[in-house]
Amino acid sequence: MATAAVLSNGNAADWADRYYHVDQILDRPGPRTDPSFLAGEEVKKFLREKSKILVIGAGGLGCEILANLALSGFKDIHVIDMDTIDISNLNRQFLFRPKDVGQPKAIVAAEFIMNRVPGVKVTPYFGKIQDKDDDYYMQFNLVICGLDSVEARRWINATLVNMVDPEEPESLKPLIDGGTEGFKGQARVILPTVTSCYECSLDMLNKPTTFPICTIANTPRLPEHCIEWASVLEWPRVFKDKKMDTDDPEHIGWLYKTALARAKEFKIEGVTWSLTQGVVKNIIPAIASTNAIIAASCCNEAFKIATSSAAYLNNYFMLIGTDGVYSFTFEHQKRDDCPVCGGQALDITISKEWTVERLIEMLVERQDVQVKKPSMATSTKQIYFQAPPQLEALTRPNLEKKVSSLVDDGDYITVTASTLPFDLTLRVQYT
Amino acid sequence: MSAVSESQDIEQATAAIEQATAAIQQPDNKTRRYDRQLRLWAASGQNALEASRILVLSSSATATAVLKNLVLPGIGHFTILDSAVTSPADAGNNFFLAGPSSIGKPRAHEAVPLLRELNDSVEGEAVVKDVRELLKTDEGRAFVSGFSLVIAHNLRKDTLDELSKLLWADHSNPPLIAVRSAGFLAEFFIQYHERCVAQPHTDDNVPSLRIIRPFPALSKWASELDFDKLDPTEHGHVPFVIILVRAVEDWKKTHDGKLPSTTPERKAFKEQIAAMRKKIDEENFDEAEAQVWRIWRDPPVPGAIQSLFSLAPPSDSPNAVFHALLQTLNAFVAAPDGPGCLPLSGALPDMRTDTESYVRLQTVYKDWAAVEKAKFKELLQKGFPDLAPTISDEEIDTFVKNAHHVRVLRGRRWSEWDADKEALASSLTISPRETAAHLGLAALSALLNKAPGKRCRTGTSDHASRGCVADGSTVTVDGLRAEVQQLVGQDIELPEDVDTAIGEIARAPTADLPNTAAFLGGMVAQEAIKMITKQYVPVNGYCVIDMVDMWTGTVGGQ
Ligand SMILES: [Zn+2]
Repeated sequence: MATAAVLSNGNAADWADRYYHVDQILDRPGPRTDPSFLAGEEVKKFLREKSKILVIGAGGLGCEILANLALSGFKDIHVIDMDTIDISNLNRQFLFRPKDVGQPKAIVAAEFIMNRVPGVKVTPYFGKIQDKDDDYYMQFNLVICGLDSVEARRWINATLVNMVDPEEPESLKPLIDGGTEGFKGQARVILPTVTSCYECSLDMLNKPTTFPICTIANTPRLPEHCIEWASVLEWPRVFKDKKMDTDDPEHIGWLYKTALARAKEFKIEGVTWSLTQGVVKNIIPAIASTNAIIAASCCNEAFKIATSSAAYLNNYFMLIGTDGVYSFTFEHQKRDDCPVCGGQALDITISKEWTVERLIEMLVERQDVQVKKPSMATSTKQIYFQAPPQLEALTRPNLEKKVSSLVDDGDYITVTASTLPFDLTLRVQYT
Repeated sequence: MSAVSESQDIEQATAAIEQATAAIQQPDNKTRRYDRQLRLWAASGQNALEASRILVLSSSATATAVLKNLVLPGIGHFTILDSAVTSPADAGNNFFLAGPSSIGKPRAHEAVPLLRELNDSVEGEAVVKDVRELLKTDEGRAFVSGFSLVIAHNLRKDTLDELSKLLWADHSNPPLIAVRSAGFLAEFFIQYHERCVAQPHTDDNVPSLRIIRPFPALSKWASELDFDKLDPTEHGHVPFVIILVRAVEDWKKTHDGKLPSTTPERKAFKEQIAAMRKKIDEENFDEAEAQVWRIWRDPPVPGAIQSLFSLAPPSDSPNAVFHALLQTLNAFVAAPDGPGCLPLSGALPDMRTDTESYVRLQTVYKDWAAVEKAKFKELLQKGFPDLAPTISDEEIDTFVKNAHHVRVLRGRRWSEWDADKEALASSLTISPRETAAHLGLAALSALLNKAPGKRCRTGTSDHASRGCVADGSTVTVDGLRAEVQQLVGQDIELPEDVDTAIGEIARAPTADLPNTAAFLGGMVAQEAIKMITKQYVPVNGYCVIDMVDMWTGTVGGQ
């Protein structure tokens, strides 16, 4: 092919004019470009030959992110995902086909990108982000997250914040995070320890809908109450230790039928297969277009940060597409008492009468903490431990004791939990 | 438990599951595939998508990005109309071309199969023709007008003008989405005469519960309930709706039949509710106090709906059914034997009560909603005897359920706003950065339009390798500034935002950046879905996007 001329500094896959569009940006600065921008060959060389980027998630956002990065000129891309492909992914995860159902997302996505975009290397890892250590994360210039799990995001956020060594500028890895729900979404840039981090904004998340057990057990009114009854109360009663698998259609079928029978008994309408699945799997509506918007803004930030070709987002972009297009760009503020990047303990003021159990309930309820099954200790005493069983039994009597009998006013409590990728320090004061 | 008995348990459990689910049909593959979107627009929206036929002018990176997001959710058919041949530049920035092997081949032909493979149930076709040629013949114009929606990306200004006039000429012609982008800046405009949205999905709150205008069954329940005779459990389970209806009734008896309106009156009213409690911790009373706003804020007709009543329906509107429903709504509110407000939706929020009371209340609401719907249908039949039989029950149902927030948008022709110097200048003061970006892009299209003919042919010239993109070499900051000045008027002082916008455009006048293309692909497809499904509310005006500071905004709406 005559047009596939090799550029002096490029590799064989770069045909002349391959980057005609992107190069218009890289060949000259714009009015809002930082003076440090090195227009021309140098920045192109860095982007296409030196930079290494990690994509976490190869799902709705991940597929889009991989395609955008590859076309933008990133050539060394790594992707991590622990999921396999489900048929319900195909309405948006556009690198997958019906024949791929059951295959690992990371591997199929990586192969697709390498076939479609010549000269781009995508290295997949089919597994959990927690499998990898600091050395692994240290090799990248940038990390982009397209996840639907709060827990995984908290983990990568805490990991990247902890990796920052003030003596080593290279240890600061910008984290770009995207998320969508239906017609809504957000993209943000986190410079660990410099800007607000994921943990700083935890209270912005919607509180998940929960139904009180007494409603489910005694006074169901909505179809959701019947479904919760089937999954939370009936399943363990009938099947004992057998684990419910919400991806198994037979399990969903049983829950549906059980919920339907209860609904009939109470004359409640509206239990359907789809609602049953939605409630037990906590399904969030997801469409290709919103994912495209959010993934594009994440990759655009990655491109701007990697090339310095234009100012990057400072630091939060939020979009609502239900009523026209509404978006809001703002600087989310760092929290001094952020348990990950703040350095200060979280102040809590409670009554002297509060028991340890009450304190635990309060922590579980708090939107800015979001912890399940916390264990607690001071620097000198164990207060309560969820595990191992012997220690739990040993500390269980403390649950009914007053916090004030165990912790002095102004003293610190360290909270740990398996779902919490860091230790949370509380400073307790009494009213 | 021993390992053996545990495994037996699990076997038994599995058998029990199989038995229980034997009779249940799990959803078919199509429902499973579309599950995550059906939760947003339901079967009615999906059917509308599947019936749609979309024409896209160009197979640029942006155009194929838009199509990708329409093929995935399952539109019926798409046609790409594009005479361009794939250039090396196209092969570099477009995910729906097969890399260098597509170079030299018709771009539309290359893109269609790669888009179609995203979804077997979508038809796709490539038409390798120049839209300018098509617009010259009756047959070509009929072809273009025969789609449900037309989307154009970076079409030459004169051609877009001609196309927009053609589609504007007849109300039954498809709407047009005109998309323009250059580097980090972009905008799109949806050309429509009128959009009627029966399911806007903009308000999650349950509409009026008729607490201050109770219908007979509700009123009877509340007034006959002897709170004192209830045992503590029953008392703690009286639905908040009943508590409030009763409280209003009691209040009116001692206040000349008037509702509490002043601040001290409202305070006294809340105290009256508090005094009805038997115990301090009755959650149904907490709820009654929290929902007391439903008494202060319950107009018979919300202001936005009232203003729709005075909207004259366009004479040749394809939305005749919607307008008939709207006028019937007006007649319903005005009917002397009616409730004097919008018909009851029948929806009831969850509340602290026992199952029996809740189901009973739900039935009371549903039954009365059916009564009012019957009344509504009677008025529809009377007012529109010819049209009424053609309107499905489902359509009436959807309309009545959403009567409190249905929307009507009136639009204008593409570029009409650009001819209104006064409006542009005023917008430049109110929303300087958004207007500046729009003016910059309008100036760019004017400048590119002046450049001599485009190059869409295969050939040996250097320019041909850039394919069907306009020649950006004539685009300068000064040239753009002069065009902007001409648009807003010579005597208008241009704010700094204009320099920022045109500086960015002059930097990359013909760049279809992968990320900008993907962003637009999502935005434009989302609007197209809203237009096709008639659910959610489309943009009115120019939606402007700046991917440097990362913001979006809307200017030039009606
Ligand atoms: Zn933080």
